[in-house]
Amino acid sequence: MSAIATTVRRLRISREIVLLGVLIALVIVMTLLDPLFLSLTTLLNTSRFFVEVGLMALGMTLIIITGGIDLSVGSNLALVSVAIGLSFAAGLPLPLAIVFGLVMGVAAGLFNGLFITLLDLHPLVVTLGTLALFQGLAYGVSGARAVSDFPGWFAYFGQAYLGPIPGQLFIFVVAVAVVWLILSRTTFGRYVYAIGNNEEAARFSGVPIRKVKLALYSGIGLLVGMAAVIYTSRVYTARGDSGVGLELDVISAVVLGGASIYGGSGTIGGTVLGVLIIATLRNGLILAGVPSTWQLFVLGVLLLAAVFINEFFRRGEE
Amino acid sequence: MSVSDGAGTERAATVAEAPAIFRLQNVTKHFGGVTAVEDVDFDLRPGEVHALVGENGAGKSTLMKIVDGLYAPDEGRLEVEGQPAEFSSPRDAEAAGIAMIPQELDLFPELSVAENLFVGRKRPRTRWGGLDRNTMRAEARRRLSSLGVDFDVTARVKRLSAANQQIVAIARALVGDARAVVMDEPTSSLTDREARQLFRIIEELTSGDVGVVYISHRLEEIFEIADRITVLRDGRHITTASASELDAEELVRLMVGRPLNELFTRHPHEPGEVALEVKGLSREGEFADVDLTLRRGEILGLAGLVGAGRTELAQAIFGIRPAESGEILVDGEAARIHSPQAAMNRGIFYVPEERRSQGLILPFSIKNNITLSILDRISRFGLVPRSERQTADRFAKELSIRGAAISEPVARLSGGNQQKVVVAKSLAREPSVLLLDEPTRGVDVGAKSEIYRLIDDLAREGKAILLISSELEEVLSMSDRILVMREGRIAGEFDREGATQERVMTAATGGGDGRGEESADE
Amino acid sequence: MSEARAPTERGDGEALRRFLVRPEAPALAFLAVLLVAFTLANDRFLTASNLESIVDSVAVLGVVALAVNQVILCGEIDISTGSMLGLCAIAAGAVSLSTGGILLPLLTGVAVGILAGALNGALVTLGRIPAIIVTLGMLYALRGVILLVTGGTWITGVPAATRVMGTGKVLGISIPVIILFGLFLVMELVNRHSTWGRNVFAVGGNRVAARLAGLPVNRVRFMAFTLVGAFVGIASLIYVGRAGSVQTNTGVGLELQAVAAVVIGGTSISGGRGSALAALTGAVLIGVILNGLILLGVPGIWQDAVLGGLILLAVATDVLRRRLVGDKA
Repeated sequence: MSAIATTVRRLRISREIVLLGVLIALVIVMTLLDPLFLSLTTLLNTSRFFVEVGLMALGMTLIIITGGIDLSVGSNLALVSVAIGLSFAAGLPLPLAIVFGLVMGVAAGLFNGLFITLLDLHPLVVTLGTLALFQGLAYGVSGARAVSDFPGWFAYFGQAYLGPIPGQLFIFVVAVAVVWLILSRTTFGRYVYAIGNNEEAARFSGVPIRKVKLALYSGIGLLVGMAAVIYTSRVYTARGDSGVGLELDVISAVVLGGASIYGGSGTIGGTVLGVLIIATLRNGLILAGVPSTWQLFVLGVLLLAAVFINEFFRRGEE
Repeated sequence: MSVSDGAGTERAATVAEAPAIFRLQNVTKHFGGVTAVEDVDFDLRPGEVHALVGENGAGKSTLMKIVDGLYAPDEGRLEVEGQPAEFSSPRDAEAAGIAMIPQELDLFPELSVAENLFVGRKRPRTRWGGLDRNTMRAEARRRLSSLGVDFDVTARVKRLSAANQQIVAIARALVGDARAVVMDEPTSSLTDREARQLFRIIEELTSGDVGVVYISHRLEEIFEIADRITVLRDGRHITTASASELDAEELVRLMVGRPLNELFTRHPHEPGEVALEVKGLSREGEFADVDLTLRRGEILGLAGLVGAGRTELAQAIFGIRPAESGEILVDGEAARIHSPQAAMNRGIFYVPEERRSQGLILPFSIKNNITLSILDRISRFGLVPRSERQTADRFAKELSIRGAAISEPVARLSGGNQQKVVVAKSLAREPSVLLLDEPTRGVDVGAKSEIYRLIDDLAREGKAILLISSELEEVLSMSDRILVMREGRIAGEFDREGATQERVMTAATGGGDGRGEESADE
Repeated sequence: MSEARAPTERGDGEALRRFLVRPEAPALAFLAVLLVAFTLANDRFLTASNLESIVDSVAVLGVVALAVNQVILCGEIDISTGSMLGLCAIAAGAVSLSTGGILLPLLTGVAVGILAGALNGALVTLGRIPAIIVTLGMLYALRGVILLVTGGTWITGVPAATRVMGTGKVLGISIPVIILFGLFLVMELVNRHSTWGRNVFAVGGNRVAARLAGLPVNRVRFMAFTLVGAFVGIASLIYVGRAGSVQTNTGVGLELQAVAAVVIGGTSISGGRGSALAALTGAVLIGVILNGLILLGVPGIWQDAVLGGLILLAVATDVLRRRLVGDKA
C-alpha cells in the first residue's frame, strides 16, 4: 500500500514530465504512421490549429482552479466572429470591427461573471445557459449568413508566417507568458488558488472574491475574442457556427494538463502540454486519414480518461 | 416497529445493578501522530443519564464516534449487552440500539417531519405497495406525543425552530428502537425554556430502560440531570463518579487538571480611547439593537450560549454578513462596512471560530496562509515580493509555531499550531481591533496557555480585543469587562469584579429572572 | 409545543406564500400568462388541435426531462441525452428495418439507453468523476459512436408498424401525448410512494446526512442515471415514429433542452427540491414558447437564443423567489 503511495506521489511530482513523455511518444507514433509528420514544417503547421484552443485553455485553467467552469467559450467565439463579420459588412472599418469583436467577447464573459457573482449561481448552470444563448444570438443575428469579403491584410492574424513560424504562435507564446506570470507571481494568482481551495476561508481573509471572478470570466472573454479573431482570419469567414463544440477541446486540454475539476490545483505548464497533446492527436488523426467523425469519439473518451486518471492519482496521494 | 413505552417502571432501584447497555474497555484511538483517546473505559446502564465532560479536545467526541461506528478503535474493545461488538458504520450501531444525535443535526431540511423520521428506514406501506402517508403521519405524531410534544408533522423541517429540530432528531433516533441515545451538546442552541422541555423528554426516556449519554459544557445542567459523570482530560479517563459525589468546583478542577490561575495570563490593562463603537446594530433573525464600545488596550469578553448571536454579530462587524441597520464607528468615525476588505482597511480583523473551514486554506503553506490577508499591502504592481518569506517568518516566530517548516502545508499541523497560524495571519495585518471567536477551541492546554499570554500582550500593546468564548472560565479570567448575549440581544454587562459564573450564566440563559421568561416566548 | 404554527389560519397572504413556495409555481404562472398572451395575439393558438400538437411536439423532450429531473433531484446532472437519443434511435431504427414490428425495436432502444445510462452512472459513482464531465464526455463519445456505426448514412423508410409510438392515436388522442402523461403519472407515484423516489430527495437534499442515515447513496444515483437511459430509449421510439427516419445528427441539442425544461419548471439545480410536475411544466412551457414564436413569425434560428435566455431567466427567478420567501436553503 505504502509502496503504491510513494510511487503515486513520485508520479504526481513529475506529472508534467509524464505529460511531456506522452507528447513525445505521440509524436513518435505519428511519425511511424506518417514519416512526414516529424518535419519542422508539419510541426509548425500544427501550431496553427491549436492556438485558438490554447488561448481559451489559458483562461479556462484559472477558472477551473477556482472551482468554476465556462461552457460558453465555443459559443462566445461564434458570437465574436459574427460580431466582427457583421459590423464589417455593415460598413465599420475592419480595425474597429476587430475592436468591437474583442469588446463583445469581454462583454459576454462579463455577463457570465455578473450572473455568477450577483446571484450566487453555479457557473455550470449559467454557462450552460449562455452556451445556448450566445450560440443562438450568433445564429439569429447573422441569419445563418456568412461574411467573407475581408480585405487581404486580415489574413495576417491567422495565416501569416514570419519565416517558417506561423504568426499566431507569437501571440500564443506571449499570452502563455503573461498568464503564467499572473498565476504564479501575482497577488491575483494567489487569490485564484485560495478561492479554489477554500472559498469561505478566502472570504474571511479579505480576498475580493467577486472582483477576482469578474476579472476571470471577463478575462477569458478577452482570450476568446483573440481566438475568434485568429479563427475568423484563418478560415477567412465569419459564421454563426464557428467554434461549435470547442469547449470540449478546451476543457479536455486543461484537465489533461492536471488541473483538478474540483478546483484548487492546476498549472499553466500542464495546460500547455495538454493543448499540445490534443493538437498533436487531432492533427495526427487527420494525417493518418482517420475520418473526423472518429475524432469526436476519441476526444470524448480522452476527456473521461484524463479526469479519471487525474482524480485517481490525487486520491492515491491522499 | 413498536417502541417500549415503559412509563411508570421504578427507576432508581434498577439503575445500579443492571448490566451495561454498552461498555468500552481500554479504548485507544490515534489520528496520525496524535492520540485522541488513550486507554479509556466507559459504560452506559439502562435508565441512567451518564454525563461525559471534559474540555474541548479532551476526546469526548472521538469516544462517542467509536460508539457510533464512525471510527474503529485502534486498541481496546466495545461490548454491547455483554457481547463483543464491532461496528463499521453508524448503521451497525443503530442496529445494535445505539443512536447518536450530533450537535450539527443531520436532518433533511427539504423533507417533512414525518419523512425525516423514516429516511433510511422501512416505511409503512398500503395494501397496494404505495407509501402509506397516513400511517406515517400518525406514527410520527405518536412518536412526538410520546415525547410530550405536538406539532405539524407535515411541515418541512427547515421551517422549524432549533428546539423543534432537536426534538425531531431525538424522535428520529427513537424510531430505530434505540436503547442508548448519545446527545452531543443538545442544549447549545436552545433557550432555557426549551432546554427544560428537553430535560423532561430525557426523563421520559430514562423512565423506561433507555440510557442517555449526555455531553455538555454546562455544569449546572449536568448536576441537574446526570446520574453519573465521567471526566476526560487530554484523551485520558480521569474519573467516573456518581453525580452526588461531586460538586461544580471539584468537577472543574478535574476537567482542567490544574488550578485555573496557572493557565491564564493576565496583567492589569489600562483601557484608552474608544476604538470601536456599535450602535443599534441589527440583522433579522440573528441579533437586534446591539450597542457596544470597545477601547484600546481592553479585552471585552462576549459570553452567551451557542446560537445567541455572538458569532453573527462579530461577522457583521467584520462585513461578512453586514448588519441591516445600526451604526459602526471606528475611532469615532462612522464606517460603512460591507465587506471584509472594508473592515480590514479600517483596522478590524476577525479570527473565525471555524478554523479549518474559515480560517485556513489547508493545502497552502504556513507562509501563504500568514500572508494571504496582507498581499494587497505588500505587493508592488500586483506582484508578490520576495520579502513575503521574511514577513511570514517573523510572525511564525512570534507565535512560536513549532515543528514545521514555513513552506509546509498547514493541513499537516496539529490543531494548536493551526490555530497559531490563524492568529499569526490576523496579526500580520496589524489590526487595531481584533475580534477573536473561540480562539482556543479544540486546542491543547499548552497552546491554550500560549494564546492567553499573547492575548494579554496584545491588549497591553494597546489593541482593542473582543473575546467571544463559550468557556466561562476563559471569559471570566481574561476579560476586563463582560457583555452577555441572549437570543440576539445584549442581556447583561458586568465589570471584572462583578462577574461571577452564576451571574453570567443567569444572564445568558435568562433563567431565574422574570424578564427572561417572557421574552423567551416569540 | 405551544409555538407550533397553524399555517392555514393566516389567510390570503399565507395561501399566496404557500403557492410561491411550491417549486413549480413560477413556471405554472408564467405558462398561464403566456397562454393568455398568445391567445390574444393569435386566435388560432387556443384550439384543441393546436394545444395537442404542442404537447405532441414536446413529447420526446418531456419524457427525457422527466428522467433528467430525477438526476438533478439527486444533485447531479446529465448532459449526454442528445447523443444518447441519437444512438438509441439508430439502434431501434436498424432493428426495425430488419424485423419490423414495435416490440423488438422498443426493447433494443431501451436496452441501448440503459447501457449508456448505466455507464454514466458507474463512472459517476464508482469512478467518482463529476457528472458534468462524465456526461459531457459521453455526449461527444456517443455522437462519435453514432457516426462510426452508421458511417454517416441515414436510416430511412422505417416501417409503419414501428412508427405507431410516434404517429398512432388511441381514442383520438395521440400516443406520444399518452406516453408523456403516463410516464409523468408514474414518476409522480414513484416520487411520492417508492423508497427510491423518497431517497432521491434525501440524497439531493443532504448527501452527507443521507450516507450517515445508511441510504445507499451510490445506488440511488446510479439508478437515476440508468433511468435516464431507459426513458431516452422510450423517447427514441417516439422520435423514430414521428420522423420515420434517423439522421446522424438526431437529438443534437436535446441535452440542453432537457436540462432547461427541468430547471425552468422549477426543480432546483442544486438538488433535493422539485417535482415531476416541474419537469412536465417546463417541457410544455418550452413547447408553448417555440410554438408561439412560430405563430408570431419569429424565425426558427432564434430557438437556441430563446432557450438560453429561458434557462438564465429560470435560474435567476429561482434565486430571487427564494430570497423573497426567505428560504435559506
